Amino acid sequence: MTDENKPKKGGIFQVFKDIVYGMSSHEMTRHAVRSRASMEHLFILITMGDLLGVPILPPYYSLRLLPYVTPQISTWKRRMLRERDITDTLG
Amino acid sequence: MSLREVFEGYPERRYIMFGGKGGLGKTTLSATCAFWLASHGKRVLLFSVDPQASLSDIFQRDIFGKGPVPIVPNLWAQEVDADRRIREYQDEIRKKILDMYGFDRVPEEIDNYISAASAEPAMEESAIFDAVVDIIVQGDYDYYIYDLVPLGHALYYLSMAKVYDEWINKITKLREEMGQYDRVAATLRRQENVEEDKILQELLYIKGRINASSQILTDKVRTAFFFVLVPEEMIILDTRKAAELFSRFDVPVAGYVVNRVLPPELEQEQIPVYLKNRIAMQKRHLEGIKNIFGNQILAYVPEMDRDVTGLPMIEKLAERLFT
Repeated sequence: MTDENKPKKGGIFQVFKDIVYGMSSHEMTRHAVRSRASMEHLFILITMGDLLGVPILPPYYSLRLLPYVTPQISTWKRRMLRERDITDTLG
Repeated sequence: MSLREVFEGYPERRYIMFGGKGGLGKTTLSATCAFWLASHGKRVLLFSVDPQASLSDIFQRDIFGKGPVPIVPNLWAQEVDADRRIREYQDEIRKKILDMYGFDRVPEEIDNYISAASAEPAMEESAIFDAVVDIIVQGDYDYYIYDLVPLGHALYYLSMAKVYDEWINKITKLREEMGQYDRVAATLRRQENVEEDKILQELLYIKGRINASSQILTDKVRTAFFFVLVPEEMIILDTRKAAELFSRFDVPVAGYVVNRVLPPELEQEQIPVYLKNRIAMQKRHLEGIKNIFGNQILAYVPEMDRDVTGLPMIEKLAERLFT
């Protein structure tokens, strides 16, 4: 269980801190995480493009990276191959 | 300057390469040079980066995939078994996935990808490229002599180092940027991501290997690249083009060796018109070679009266080449 899921202690001060966090940095954090996820998919595309039939570069060294991205491969493929429409840009 | 003077005058040049079109005598000259250096007390490793290696043929014994095999005192020869290296590498990747995630078997999709990678045309070259780094990093020898692939492939080999290098630089940068976003999110959430560092570490490791190999190819102090050519029009033109391309890749070209020169004294004898014409043709082209490459020509190697295979023939050629 991560820190943010644990019941928080600290009473009114903690509630105040959370409100400030929510108003100021939450959006920033969300943005950072989303950008990070997009970059992760870009990274996998560059290194593992062959998996989609897009051979970007020779795979000898990219194979070395495969074990580290193995868990992300299926979500990445889904994201890369899904159909897109206008609502995607609103998300 | 002669070939001998080049070796005696520049003992710091430890990485020796003979390049040229296919069938001009790269392997013969590599082996001869290795033999001569070894007979002068230098520890020499002669290794082939050609998937269709022919060191086994020239030494008349099977050395394929057996690591450095001693040939004569101070001389070892090695032919890399690229297929085996690829297979071992694939198994290593599979094992890593199993170990990292505690799977019983590698997910089918991932396994298919690993298996399919061996069919990639660049895989064999990449595997050899990587094997060369292993060979050189160990640093046990005074001289490393590359028995190179034919010109076109050699250029590909050189450009591969450059492409790989740029590719790795770009993705390392991307990975570092990702790390910045990670740190922003992690600081706020008090999380740590161990895997990030591992991927970056892998990238830096790969970068180190590629740099080790490409630095040697372009090292002006420690590397000497010799072109092998024969007195024929097409070969001269191709060699000239290749030399320009190689210098664009910063490969230090140390000189040219002209192989398969028909002995001019033959002209004094009763010889058929066919042979007379060939000698006249070679004479003309030798003039051309002299005009183009000038004092960079280090040796003229005579056409031998039989195949240069086996140690006695190599020894005989070494005497002619290094007098």
